[in-house]
Amino acid sequence: MSKFHPDLDLLTEYSAGTLPLAQAACVSIHVNQCDHCRRVLGQLNELGASLMESLQPEPVGDEQLNAVLARLDEETPLQYERRAQDGDNTPAILQRLMRGDFSDLSWKNIGAALRISYLKTGDPQHEFALYHIRAGGRIPEHTHRGGEMTLILQGGFSDSQGSYHAGDFIYRRPGDVHAPTALQSEDCICLAVLDAPLKFTDWRFRWMNPFLRLRAG
Amino acid sequence: MLAVSETTGDEPTGGARSADGTRIDEWSECLRLIAENQDRAAFTRLFRHFAPLMKAFALSGSTLSANHADELVQEVMLKVWQKAGAFNPKKAAASTWIYTIARNCRTDLYRRLQKFDTPLAAEDVTGDLESEEAFMALHQRRSGERIRQLMGELPNDQAQILAKVYMEGKSHSEVAGELDIPLGTVKSRVRLALQKLQIQIDR
Ligand SMILES: [Zn+2]
Repeated sequence: MSKFHPDLDLLTEYSAGTLPLAQAACVSIHVNQCDHCRRVLGQLNELGASLMESLQPEPVGDEQLNAVLARLDEETPLQYERRAQDGDNTPAILQRLMRGDFSDLSWKNIGAALRISYLKTGDPQHEFALYHIRAGGRIPEHTHRGGEMTLILQGGFSDSQGSYHAGDFIYRRPGDVHAPTALQSEDCICLAVLDAPLKFTDWRFRWMNPFLRLRAG
Repeated sequence: MLAVSETTGDEPTGGARSADGTRIDEWSECLRLIAENQDRAAFTRLFRHFAPLMKAFALSGSTLSANHADELVQEVMLKVWQKAGAFNPKKAAASTWIYTIARNCRTDLYRRLQKFDTPLAAEDVTGDLESEEAFMALHQRRSGERIRQLMGELPNDQAQILAKVYMEGKSHSEVAGELDIPLGTVKSRVRLALQKLQIQIDR
């Protein structure tokens, strides 16, 4: 059971459909595993519905009704399976974006303890990437030029603000500095959604900063 | 913007329930008839009630042309027909289920208009609320009713912001820009409103 959740602001924007796609994808994976957030989200959707019901109705003519009636026999579009396949607890949406499993991804090594694989969501403003941190490995100290959403998929990590485990959702605002270290017991895999590139503050890694472009899209 | 919806003879019966607590309002019944019998008359009743609300929803963002709004209405109502079998009256009100379809269709339409190239539809990133336990479902329905009752008591500034976020589909920072108030004020009004509606994270 997760201990860290998206805050009410994020859940509200998520339920109103206004979160950018990559962020919404990240929140959805947490929500699907979290009864707590599911319950709040259910209520927020009721709120949306009740606002919709109190709109001043706009007239819709019979020609519109007839146009829809004429289309009712259309073939229903194929639906993707939303649930993950049995025996695989990788969230369904990641399975689709990865087109395979973790071992099929192409990874970019950043130092000895970290490798990153970028996935394509089509969101032009956000990078959507999997971070694989070796057990006990430390990500060089960095700051965020923008916001960073992290969802832990496997294992866990700790930083000066706390320790986090599978299912936990963390949102760091611009300017937060941290140096996460994976738990000693197992490798950590997390999903990170960024709207600006990281910036290493650790002097040994600063030389990389000019190369850290945001890989959105 | 917000108006009290007119009461007509065929409004849902509200509090009526079957023995197991399931809503048996008219709209849930229409969805059942569509799913089980492909009942076009039931669909027509549903259309006459919801299509004008869908159109109002489409136009409240104010960036969609009248043609796109009509397109959205058709698309939402067609989806309602196609997916009626997936509606479960034990888990949500018919209007809540239809709202989420409308919201997702509108998001997808916005993205299509912006030539967004993505493998994901809005529906794919909608939380899967289906796996709820029976008691969660009951809790859900009660809070839905409570929210509807408490909505009328919200102060105007809070109701206005919720309408901008939900109906006009604006992010908190877009709302702040439009009303020329600080982002923090938008967030605190939203939070106050949610508090009044008793929507909170009790953890
Ligand atoms: Zn949660």
